[in-house]
This record gives sequence, C-alpha cells and structure tokens, in this order.
Amino acid sequence: MARAVLRSPQLGLVLVLLVLATALTLAAGSHVDPQTGKTINNFLNTYTLIQMATDASAFAIMGVGATLVIIAGGIDLSVGAIYALAGVSMAMVLRAAGPMDPVATVFLGLGTCLTVSLLCGLANGVMVIGLKVHPFIITLGTMWILRGVAFVISRAESILIPGALTAVAKASLGLGTALYPVPLLCMLVVTAIGALYLSRTVMGRHVFAIGGNPEASRFSGLNVPRITLGVFVLSGLAAGFAAFLGAAFYGSATSSDANGYELYVIASAVVGGASLSGGKGSAVSAMLGAVLIVTMRQAIRTLHLDQNYEWIIIGAAMIVAVVLDQRGSRLLAGRLSASA
Amino acid sequence: MSLSTRWSRPALVVAAFAMAAYAMAACGKGGDTSAGKTFTIAMIAKSSTNPVFLSGRQGAEAAAAELSKAHGMTVKIDWLTPPNEDGAVQAQRISEAVNSGANAILLSSSDAGKVRGAVDEAVDRGVPVMTFDSDVPDSKRFSFYGGDDVKMGVQLMDELATQMGGKGKVAIIAGNQNALNLQARVRGVREAAAKYPGITIVNAFNHAETPQDAAAEVLRVKNAYPDLQGFAMVGGWALFTRTLLTDLDPRKIKIVSVDALPAELPYVETGLAPVLFAQPTYSWGYVSVNTIFDHVYLKKKVPAHVQMDLVRVSKDNLGTWARQLKAWGFADVDPKYLALPR
Repeated sequence: MARAVLRSPQLGLVLVLLVLATALTLAAGSHVDPQTGKTINNFLNTYTLIQMATDASAFAIMGVGATLVIIAGGIDLSVGAIYALAGVSMAMVLRAAGPMDPVATVFLGLGTCLTVSLLCGLANGVMVIGLKVHPFIITLGTMWILRGVAFVISRAESILIPGALTAVAKASLGLGTALYPVPLLCMLVVTAIGALYLSRTVMGRHVFAIGGNPEASRFSGLNVPRITLGVFVLSGLAAGFAAFLGAAFYGSATSSDANGYELYVIASAVVGGASLSGGKGSAVSAMLGAVLIVTMRQAIRTLHLDQNYEWIIIGAAMIVAVVLDQRGSRLLAGRLSASA
Repeated sequence: MSLSTRWSRPALVVAAFAMAAYAMAACGKGGDTSAGKTFTIAMIAKSSTNPVFLSGRQGAEAAAAELSKAHGMTVKIDWLTPPNEDGAVQAQRISEAVNSGANAILLSSSDAGKVRGAVDEAVDRGVPVMTFDSDVPDSKRFSFYGGDDVKMGVQLMDELATQMGGKGKVAIIAGNQNALNLQARVRGVREAAAKYPGITIVNAFNHAETPQDAAAEVLRVKNAYPDLQGFAMVGGWALFTRTLLTDLDPRKIKIVSVDALPAELPYVETGLAPVLFAQPTYSWGYVSVNTIFDHVYLKKKVPAHVQMDLVRVSKDNLGTWARQLKAWGFADVDPKYLALPR
C-alpha cells in the first residue's frame, strides 16, 4: 500500500499542495467570525477550502475532458464556448418550459446541457477527422462560432436559472449554512470516472496509444478516427456538465460565461504533467493541477498581495516551470544515454 | 516515471510562484502589516481596467485614510476587483472576502443574477454589503449609492436632442448588456427620444467595456449608418481613446456621454461632445466607504438609496471641472484645462 502511494504519479502534486497549504495557513493570519465569535484562520477554514474546491471544480471537470484530448495528441480550445452555449441553451429551454416539478426541471436542465455539449463535441471531432485540419485550428474556429451562437440565441441576456437547479448545486448536505460541497463532489466523481476510463478500460489505453504514436496505432489496427471522435465528444460532455453545475450554482447563464476558461483548463492539464505532444497525462493530475492553480490564486488574496499581479505571477510561474521541467528532462535523458 | 520527474513540474510551478510573489512583496506591493484594530472593506468593482473604477478606488482609499486618522484605527480597502467583467468571478470574490474576514463589502455588480446569491450569503454570514454604480436589486444589501439610471438616460437624450436641434438619427452606445444600470440608462434614452418626433434611434449597441472595444463599436456603427448625427453614450468608454477626435466630424456628429474623465476633456474642447455628464466616480468610493463605516462601525442609520447626481460639464466649466479632477487625484489632467479661468 505504502509502496503504491510512493509510486503514485500524483504524489508530487499532492505533497506540493500540502506544503503550499501549510505555508498559507501559517502566513494567513486569522479573524473573528462575526456569527460564531470564534477566531478562525484566514486560509484553513471550511468555508475557504470548499469555496476553493468550488472555484476549481469547473476547471477540473473540463480539465478531465480536455486531458483526454491532450493525451490523444490534440487540443480543445472550445471548452469555454461549449460551456457558455450549453448554459444559455439550458436556461432558455427551462424558461420556455415554464414552471415544472423540481426533479423534472433538474433532469431537463441536465439533459439539455449534455445534449448540446455532446453535439458540440461531435462537431469538433467530425471536423478534425473529416477536414484533416489540426484540432487547434478547428477548435479555435468553433470557440468563436459556439460563443457567437450563444450570444445570438440569448440576445446577450443574463437568463435566470430556476431555483430547483440552484437547490441541487447548493445543497449543503448537512454541512451547515453557506457550505456547498456539491461542486467538490462532482469534481471528485468526474475525476474518478476519467481516471478509471484511462487506466482500467481498453478504450482508455487506446487513447494513450494514438497520442503516443498514431502511425503505430493505425498499423496495429486501432480505429484512430473513432477514438479521436470519442475524446472530443467526452471533452464536450465534460464542458456541458461543468456548465450545468456552474449555471445552477450561480443562478444564471450568459453568453459571456467561462470566457478564457479554456486557458485555465489547458494550464491545469499541463501543470498536472500532461504533454501537449500527446501520450502522457492523467485525470487525477489534471484535477490536482486545477486545485494548484486555484490555490495560487487564493494565496494572492490570502497574503494580501496586489491581485492585479495575479495573471503575471501565474503566467510567469507556468512558463518558468514548464521550461525548467523540459530542460531538466532533456538533461536527465542525456545523462541516462551517456551512462548506457 | 521517477520520483524526481513526478515532482518536478508542480514543484517548479510553486517555486516560480513563490519567487514572483516574494519579488512583488519586496517591491512594496505586499499586504498590510499594521498592528492595532483593523476594519477591512473589500471593494469589488466591475473591472480593474476601467478608469472610472480606479477613480472610485482612489476615493475609497482617501476615505479610509481619513477615517483611520479620525478614529485612531486602521480602515483598509481590500481591492478585489476582477481584471475583466465576470459576474461569476465577482461572486467568488465575495465569498473570498467573507472567508478572509472582511468587515464589509462594497460592490458594483457586473451581473446581478450571478452575484445575488453570494451577496445574500455574505449578509447571512454577518458581513454587510453595500452596492454602488450598479445595484443588486432584491438582495440583502443594506444600501446603494448611485444615480437614478433611467433619469440619467433621459437627461442624456434631452441634452443630445438640444445639441442636434431636435432632429436626426441617434445611436446608443450601451456598454455591457448584462449590467442592469446600463440597461436602465438605455431605457431612459429611448423614453426621452420618444418625446422628439424628429429624432430616430437606430439601435442600442453593446460592447465590451474597454476603451478600444467601445471606440471600435462607434466606428462600426458610424460606417453602418453614414447619416447618423448623434451618439448617446451611457458610459464614456469610447471617449477614453483619442481616435474619435480625428475619425468623427464635430460639424456633422454630436456626442453626449455619461462620464467626464481627463481623457474625455478634449472632446468637450473640440465640440464633438459639447456636454458630458460626469459621474462623481471618486465619490463612489469616498461616499460609499463613509456610508459603510457609519452603518457598520458607528451603527448609524443610513438610507437604502444614497442619491448620486450628475455634474454637467461643458466649455463653460471645463477649467473648474479639470481642477476638481486634479483634486481627486487624477494625475493625467492636461495643464491647459487646469489653466482655464472657469
């Protein structure tokens, strides 16, 4: 058991998160809770931890889907736009449907989000395969198209979501007032499904195979187009589910939702160790990457650093880290080949 | 995979983050370390790239400094405004402010639907919320500082109709489509336009609330409607650029806009925007912080709506207004306007 934990590829990320969290706890200071009168740490308190998990949940859920595409050697820049389109479509369908039974409302909302996002993912996959154009170009195009469609159909309105959905996304599950663990639980469930898919199913191994070496995979008899289509559909579905959760949690949907999220999603996968050249990555690492990025954002607030520097700090940290990581890997590879 | 490579990327991210944060802190951008009693107000405006909110921040910090001196304590403004307009991010920032022990929150909402839940939760958890500029109606916020936006729109259109001699085609430059305050101003413009049989509103045009996006929208509209004679701007974003000074002809086009910041004053001088209606944006922060302190710390009664009136700026009072801006801390006021007699 202990050996399995030590050999886990996520061990490094988990330890880094723990070290960062410990440092933040020590440096954060404390305040008196106006409700209970108790002194609580500004970082290490249930509210902050669950709120961070909520903030990370959208990036992590979309990150699991995007990681599948990245492992398969592609990229999906349209996840933020799929999120926006799925969200406004759900809001419009629910508005048109009018008042309904709460359970029916939730299922209609979820069904709409997943259907729209599935169609978007399918469109991405079909175009990548059929037009034989790099996924970067296709999904860059669909990023604009899908957000444009969301803008046009919603007339740029901010459309309110029925309370039944918010009641689900903000269910306290017995934790107490203003503690909402549903996004956290959804993030964990989606990550677990992604991890099982990648590590315990034949289809998951095929995704690694086509990302590692598409030519060899083809000669081995793998249906590369079908697998490619599958990862784009799953990436779309993940974005649709994140949209359902986000719109339900915040209580409204607009065409400008999730603007720029695609970069956070890709960053989560990369920080988690995914290789943009394909064949490498993990769902759990993508989730931990999202949590790490959100923790860094939180650190800027907790330490009272000027938040206008957030993009500079996170962007610089990403570039420096990935460049140093690559150079270190090359150095290591050179030493290994020299010693062989 | 070896242990070292497993560690490397996340560890390097954090190491690089720590170095950047340390460097920033060393440059004096770090947080407050003052001892003694501290009253923290988290200020969450719509966007930290919009100059009107930076002016509001200056007002808030000036009020905080005065209150600190007067009451022998530290009143601190925690600036949590997102870089871009995003209601969901604002909702996250409200929760962060509550979780980190803010005593009160001052908010201008980008999307009332998205932040209403977070506002109510903050109040339920004992952190009072005040709104300014863009309200969150039907929420538990205790007060709103701002104008009557419909009346602002009416005032804007009445002035534009006067400048255009009561006839011609008008486009409304409307900013972010999700902001309730801007929607109300647009309604006011349309209501007022209906009083003038010679005035036609061609449409209201939304855009991202950045100077470049707004100016580009103005030019696109001008090209689409070559016979356009007036722009009613419910916010001054487009006039923060210089491009319209050369791209629009003041003999053919008249602009009347809300806001009158230093960058907009040349438009008054050239006559392209003969009248600007200034929001006292410095007061957004200054008045709101004083109102919050009165209500939360001094337990005084405050009105649910603190009225904000617009200031009419034209060539007649350009110098006076320029000096007012300078006094509010704007460093970029052109000296030639400061030298004007009135």
